Amino acid sequence: MPSAPSKDSSSFLAFDRSGLAMRASHVLVAVLVVAALGFAAVGAALNDTFFLRLATEALILGGFALSVDILLGYTGLLSLGHALYFGFGAYVSALVLKETPSFWAAMGVVLVTTLVFGVITGLIANRVRGVYFALVTFGLAQVAAKAVYNTRALGASDGLIGIPIVPINLGFTTVMSNAPVAFFLFTLVFVILLYAAAAYLLDTSFGRVLGALRANEHRVPFLGYSTHRARLSIYVFAAVVAALSGALYPMLRGFVSPELMFFATSGNAVITVVIGGVGTLAGALYGSIILTVLKSVIGTLTEHHLIVIGILFMAVVIFLPKGVMGVVRPGIARLLGGGTR
Amino acid sequence: MTSVLEFIQFVLAPQMITGLSLGVAVVLVALGLTIIFGLLDVINMSHGEFYAIGAYLALALGAAGVSFWLLIVIVPLIMIPLGYVVESGLIQRVFNKPDRHVTTLLLTFGLGLVLEEVLKVIFGPNTQRPPTPIPGAFDMFGIIMPNYRLFLILFGFAIIIAVALVVNRTPLGAMVRAAAFDRNMAASLGVPVSRVYAGTFAFGIALAGLAGVLLAPVFSVFPTMGRDFIFMAFTVVIVGGMGSIIGTVIAGVVLTQVQVLSSLVVSPVWSDPIVFSIMVLVLVLRPQGLFGRIGHA
Repeated sequence: MPSAPSKDSSSFLAFDRSGLAMRASHVLVAVLVVAALGFAAVGAALNDTFFLRLATEALILGGFALSVDILLGYTGLLSLGHALYFGFGAYVSALVLKETPSFWAAMGVVLVTTLVFGVITGLIANRVRGVYFALVTFGLAQVAAKAVYNTRALGASDGLIGIPIVPINLGFTTVMSNAPVAFFLFTLVFVILLYAAAAYLLDTSFGRVLGALRANEHRVPFLGYSTHRARLSIYVFAAVVAALSGALYPMLRGFVSPELMFFATSGNAVITVVIGGVGTLAGALYGSIILTVLKSVIGTLTEHHLIVIGILFMAVVIFLPKGVMGVVRPGIARLLGGGTR
Repeated sequence: MTSVLEFIQFVLAPQMITGLSLGVAVVLVALGLTIIFGLLDVINMSHGEFYAIGAYLALALGAAGVSFWLLIVIVPLIMIPLGYVVESGLIQRVFNKPDRHVTTLLLTFGLGLVLEEVLKVIFGPNTQRPPTPIPGAFDMFGIIMPNYRLFLILFGFAIIIAVALVVNRTPLGAMVRAAAFDRNMAASLGVPVSRVYAGTFAFGIALAGLAGVLLAPVFSVFPTMGRDFIFMAFTVVIVGGMGSIIGTVIAGVVLTQVQVLSSLVVSPVWSDPIVFSIMVLVLVLRPQGLFGRIGHA
């Protein structure tokens, strides 16, 4: 891969603008939260279950897509097997919940095991760059999915069923995982926290090192930063975000299946990020909602909704390199006072 | 002693020959992949779907009464304009964007999704199988193998050698290698680079289609057949070295042998992880694969 030419003298300005763009992302996420609260209120008033659960799933998948965007948007590394961590989180969470229906125990175990698992797999994946990275992550997930698919103890092709209803003790109140409105709101808060953590991390000096890595990887070591450690750290962080999102899945659905690790799941997350807007974080959440709405609307008309989504995806790749966010966000950034250029 | 001979005759040798036919099959698919990457720097994620299209064309035309021998010629010819249009109409649109690897990978991934679904719409989701073009089996030193597998191995190797000759020994191949080595230099020497690009992509697609025709009678035809096959093909391309023909052939044959022979020792379920571990090991030791790439000597 030819190394990208170093950025010209406008890079200082670019940082300033990227800060503005991030603020625009925050505004868009705030809009999303308000819309979600309205949606929850309407759902509660109509005593709805189906749409609230669908929206909860969209949020969970949004959290998953967020982790793909952290890698693709901020390090330029495309993972084609990120479902590995989403599925890993879902399975670990399911196994813990079947032993003891404790939310915090499940989250704690998922966090610790993903850190270990993420470092091991990250050391393998980060040996290579560019397209090789995409193919190695693809292969890692493929192998893991096959192993799970053929392991009796993990329910093989059936997956794990009969995961109990989980009470989530938040101190001031307890959310039951089978209560549509409450669990939707809880998931909303959870995913927004993931978003905030990612946005915060990428805004620190560590995030700047990542940006530098993307611009010119060979020059970063001369500035005294370890490229290797930075790449591994962000990889593990993305793995944790994916796994924590995945950990919510069995609470929502009551089961996990090997499909969660399949390429279709990884591919879906990539589609979500690209349609929403690569490198915007907010785009991952919006993309997930757009995709869920599209699938349910087109799904009622034809079972071959993938044709429409595939064509839409290709159109976005060709015509909208920054996805939906690329259309919406500059306007918001201007409103925030970005008329300096 | 006899038990060892019997093991060789009834288990080891048939397994290795089956593995060889599988290896040829993988190499045929991987060859198009590696040529396209070697020249265009494009990872064609829809390659498996073009392989499936070839198989479905063979199925449909075969059912309409076209003979198998004619199909071997016709199907690749049908695939060529298809590949040409995909390259010049879609891939060229994003070819000069900064992140070419990622963008083209995403684009062809989307294309693969659409193609697979279109196949489902036209042919339905069920598995179908064309009749074997060469029925019967042969007996060699007591090893019994279907005739068609033997044909597949011989014909496959003939195709592979022909492709290697075209790329390495003809003026056409020289143009391709020149364009792969230095696009601007080749263009200034009068190589019609954009046509060479589209033509090479079409050639790779035609190879995938041909593989589809040849393999349909062995592995059955179903809409997601490409997806199942492409992982192995990618592994072969990576291990062999992206863009290297000889590397692809060697890696394809060796890895499929590892796959079939390991499944004699451990459960077949674990042969994929073994093959993948080899890929990771190669990448760790030699990230560029075992051999170089087209045009880069």
